[in-house]
Amino acid sequence: MKVFLELGWFFKQEKKAYISGVFFLLVVAFLQLVPPKVIGIVADHINDGTVTKGLLAEWVVVLVAVGLATYILRYYWRIMIFGSSVKLSKILRNRLYHHFTKMSPAFYQKSRIGDLMAHATNDLQAIQQTAGAGVLTLVDSLSTGGFVILTMAFTISWKLTLICLIPLPFMAMLTSWFGTMLHRSFHKAQEAFSSLNDKTQESITGIKVIKTFGQEQEDIEDFRKQSDDVVQKNIVVAKIDSLYDPTISIIVGISFFLSIVFGAKYVLNGELTIGQLISFTTYLGLLIWPMLAFGWLFNIVERGRASYDRVAKLLGEKVEITDQKQATEMVPCGDVEYRIHEFAYPGELQPILKNIQFRLNKGETLGIVGKTGAGKTTLLKLLIREFEGYNGEILFGGAALQDYKLEKLREAIGYVPQDHFLFSATVAENIAFTNPSADCVEIELAAKLANIHEDILQFTDGYKTIVGERGVSLSGGQKQRISIARALLMDPELLVLDDSLSAVDAKTEEAILSALKENREGKTTIITSHRLSAIAHANLILVLEDGKIIERGTHEELMEQNGWYREMYLHQQLEELVEHGGH
Amino acid sequence: MEEKVQLSEREQRKVLYRLLSYTKPHKRTITLAFVLLLLTTVGDIVLPILVKIFLDDYLTPGNLEFKPLLLLGSLYMGIQIVKAILLFFQLVKFQEIALYIIQQLRIDVFSKVQALGLKYFDKTPAGSIVSRVTNDTEAIKDMFVTVLATFIQSGFLLFGIFIAMFILNVKLALLCVIIIPILIFVMVLYRKMSSRFYLEMRERLSQLNAKLNESLQGMAIIQVFRQEKRLRSEFGDINEQHYKAGMKNIKIDGLLLRPAIDLIYIFALIIVLSYFGITSFNTSVKIGVIYAFINYLDRFFEPVNQMMMRLSLYQQAIVAGSRVFKLLDEDTLAPAQKEEGASQIEKGKVEFMNVSFSYDGKRDVLKNISFAANPGETVALVGHTGSGKSSIINLMMRFYEFERGEILIDGESIRHYSKVEIRKKLGLVLQDPFLFYGTVKDNIRLHNTDLTDEQIEEAAQFVQANTFIEKLEDGYRHKVVERGATFSSGQRQLIAFARTIAANPKVLVLDEATANIDTETEEAIQTALAKMRKGRTTIAIAHRLSTIQDADLILVLHQGEIVERGNHQELLAQKGLYHKMFLLQNGMVEKMEDVIN
Repeated sequence: MKVFLELGWFFKQEKKAYISGVFFLLVVAFLQLVPPKVIGIVADHINDGTVTKGLLAEWVVVLVAVGLATYILRYYWRIMIFGSSVKLSKILRNRLYHHFTKMSPAFYQKSRIGDLMAHATNDLQAIQQTAGAGVLTLVDSLSTGGFVILTMAFTISWKLTLICLIPLPFMAMLTSWFGTMLHRSFHKAQEAFSSLNDKTQESITGIKVIKTFGQEQEDIEDFRKQSDDVVQKNIVVAKIDSLYDPTISIIVGISFFLSIVFGAKYVLNGELTIGQLISFTTYLGLLIWPMLAFGWLFNIVERGRASYDRVAKLLGEKVEITDQKQATEMVPCGDVEYRIHEFAYPGELQPILKNIQFRLNKGETLGIVGKTGAGKTTLLKLLIREFEGYNGEILFGGAALQDYKLEKLREAIGYVPQDHFLFSATVAENIAFTNPSADCVEIELAAKLANIHEDILQFTDGYKTIVGERGVSLSGGQKQRISIARALLMDPELLVLDDSLSAVDAKTEEAILSALKENREGKTTIITSHRLSAIAHANLILVLEDGKIIERGTHEELMEQNGWYREMYLHQQLEELVEHGGH
Repeated sequence: MEEKVQLSEREQRKVLYRLLSYTKPHKRTITLAFVLLLLTTVGDIVLPILVKIFLDDYLTPGNLEFKPLLLLGSLYMGIQIVKAILLFFQLVKFQEIALYIIQQLRIDVFSKVQALGLKYFDKTPAGSIVSRVTNDTEAIKDMFVTVLATFIQSGFLLFGIFIAMFILNVKLALLCVIIIPILIFVMVLYRKMSSRFYLEMRERLSQLNAKLNESLQGMAIIQVFRQEKRLRSEFGDINEQHYKAGMKNIKIDGLLLRPAIDLIYIFALIIVLSYFGITSFNTSVKIGVIYAFINYLDRFFEPVNQMMMRLSLYQQAIVAGSRVFKLLDEDTLAPAQKEEGASQIEKGKVEFMNVSFSYDGKRDVLKNISFAANPGETVALVGHTGSGKSSIINLMMRFYEFERGEILIDGESIRHYSKVEIRKKLGLVLQDPFLFYGTVKDNIRLHNTDLTDEQIEEAAQFVQANTFIEKLEDGYRHKVVERGATFSSGQRQLIAFARTIAANPKVLVLDEATANIDTETEEAIQTALAKMRKGRTTIAIAHRLSTIQDADLILVLHQGEIVERGNHQELLAQKGLYHKMFLLQNGMVEKMEDVIN
């Protein structure tokens, strides 16, 4: 029940809704007592033959009034209580999202997206259940249960009530126990299902191997076996699930039996009328639900608490990269200078960058090359402050990166990442990502610079074509060029291309590079690449190996050095030849 | 991510009938379940009548003989207990049937998937196929377990209650029939309204999750382009829409679900009480009948509630069903064989004659490919990515059907051998040696139960995989995790070699089998390959030219054509494409410069 305390802030915030909702629930619980009473009274009159038209009309009016009032109140408590619980999940979902947008890549490295999604879906669902059905079952089982028992005891017969109540706690106990068992066996069934899922996934990914060895039939047989396991585990669930109704029916049956046997005795004694006995049995029927609800309550609350703990822990994760207090509102502009002694990713001992010192003047182009894992991307990630904690400093326009507000720093940088991620939106929306109000002239200009305009016109809906995961699939090169257009739209002070030309052919690469040269006069550009032709024109080229700069200079200088750069350059030239069939 | 499916009423019914046709093999169990259901329903109906007899015949007249009362009481409890037991079995049976039906459906879908050609897998994401086999069938299971079972059980009970009412009092029962159209009206109204709102909420939810998922994936982009605020507000909007849809559902449920059914209950109560009240003006009314009627009314409405709450599941199951059936009706089948007698591959001569091929019917990826590999010879295919090497193997392995040209094995068209024969005699080793979850032994054996443990170990020894396997914890019984992630790529490849050797093929087909090998296992792999090739015709795609220098014939492919052919020395002498590739791989910088200039 602790979770109700933890959710106290929300109940306080939605005081009105919860108080009125609970109040309505109580009234409904009370009104429910009326019809059985009326049945008893009318039955007695019928038995005595003392029914009059007036009397009948009176009770009919009472029933109609009670019926309508119950209907209306029931509708409203649902809106109040269930409505609030949906609101709670909305609030928490927004908070989670807000939190997610503030977390740095280090956080995303250590958490899996699937898990984060699960928190935002399953856990919120469980919390919503607690704030809705949990509150309902708590209030309703106590109030309905309490009212009914009190009415039975005080208006009919307390002796009979005590006798008939004896079996009912067993029902609450048994159903709650079934609930735990069901949960456990359901978990096992889910596991079996998930391994069947894995098996299917595996078979489909490995379909070529299966076909190669002609083992389709055998694999189907294996699948059949696994699906047998799913069936068996689910039958266990079904068996436990099927225990509920018979148990309830036997226990309620015993209660009914007791009430009729002992009730009959009291009727003969004259302690009860027959009508009262009938009312009594009807009341007994009303007790089933509160008993079940009580058993449920524990399961709901237990799950709700675990979920709330997880969500609270997630929301409590510290935001790692924040603005310094004295950070300026200025957008940085000017030379970029690296003075880094060492940098290692959080939690890792091996430094990924060592002794990186260079200066890039405003308006110049820097090329960074090297093998995969040499540290090229890391070097750029420090610039956009995705990671911090390096030994040394990086200056932009004469001031350290931390002296600028994060938002202002990033306003100066147009970043094109290695893994070109597009959103499920139109091409135009993707290009205008940084400025949704950009007009089509601006968007087309950016697309033309990135040499993707012609391609876009070929798409079925032109700039309105939906791309991304749920849109048309584009080639790697097209995605790269849209990412470039996205960065170019902001006409950034500093453009950073992180191996973003790898999937375009040599001709396109050349076209993009010359377009950049023409349109970005006086602005700074950093390019990392595997293909040396992409950076041959740079004012400064750095060759990285194992996090260190092993060669530096212009293309001409490096070609003279007879080192890694020259060898690589020749190699790639020859590769190019081979790709074109040797001519 | 799922395409939206809008089904007309007729299509929905068709899907339902097709789903129901899966019940046919379970006729006997279903009959049993129905008999049990019938019995429990009879129990439900009889019990109040026993109480009625007690009230009217014994209690009211004060006739309290011990013996008949004991009999009546025992009968009551007896029926109660028997009914509970039967109820248990009945509930279990219905769920069991549902589970077996779903299992069959799953196996059908899975078998269908296995029968499809690779072409289908090219155009369909693996995730969505898996979804068909598991998640969609799971949604259908929910329908069978909860919806159909609830409907049948509730329907029986309702029917039984009406019969009992008619037995007790025909006039009143007729009056109570009025309730039915009202209930049906509420149900239909609810179904209509809720299916719309429910669908809307599902859609909002999937939008919400899609947005969240995408944002999490693209968070780095959102942050570097400073769009956090905008995305937050976009997410907030979708969240708000979802909230509103949720509220609409609560309202509809509040208006038409339990509260409405309870209101109808009150009206039914009024009818019953008024009827008895009015009747009692003239004649005396038996109190037991009142009891029984009230009791039946109490029981009458719960099944109705149950039925209505399950309606939304039905809709989902039908949509899922239509997707599953679409896959079952898919006709991109694997190429068929035209078996002529029991032809056997004896020697292993492979010939390609003027084979041209296109995946999409537009662009040819193979143009007039002709070559022959004599028994025991090695033919190597080299060329740049996309030159058509893998396509040659795809055709040879019968993964794709070809129309132009002919492929002969031992002089006979490849189509004339049985599938089993082809799979048995052509052994393919893939670039990415896919390992399955299980043990090392399972992975060498695959599902071939004819292989003994000795044969498996022999095969491993033959390719020298035994040295590293025996060092593993539990040796051949070592657990292979998902995709064999704990092994190096070389070790995985050795296991795959053992797998192929264990099957003892006549023709060996290597699809870049040495491409991703770490240096540690390189040597072991090379020795293993040399041994494997001995006495077998080998068709090899080679990434590293060094591995195929001793091939009898090397074909150099470019854009689907064979541009050079010969052995290693001949090709080097030609100073063409092969020569350049050779220089490239051997890193001879100085010679490279000569070639470029």
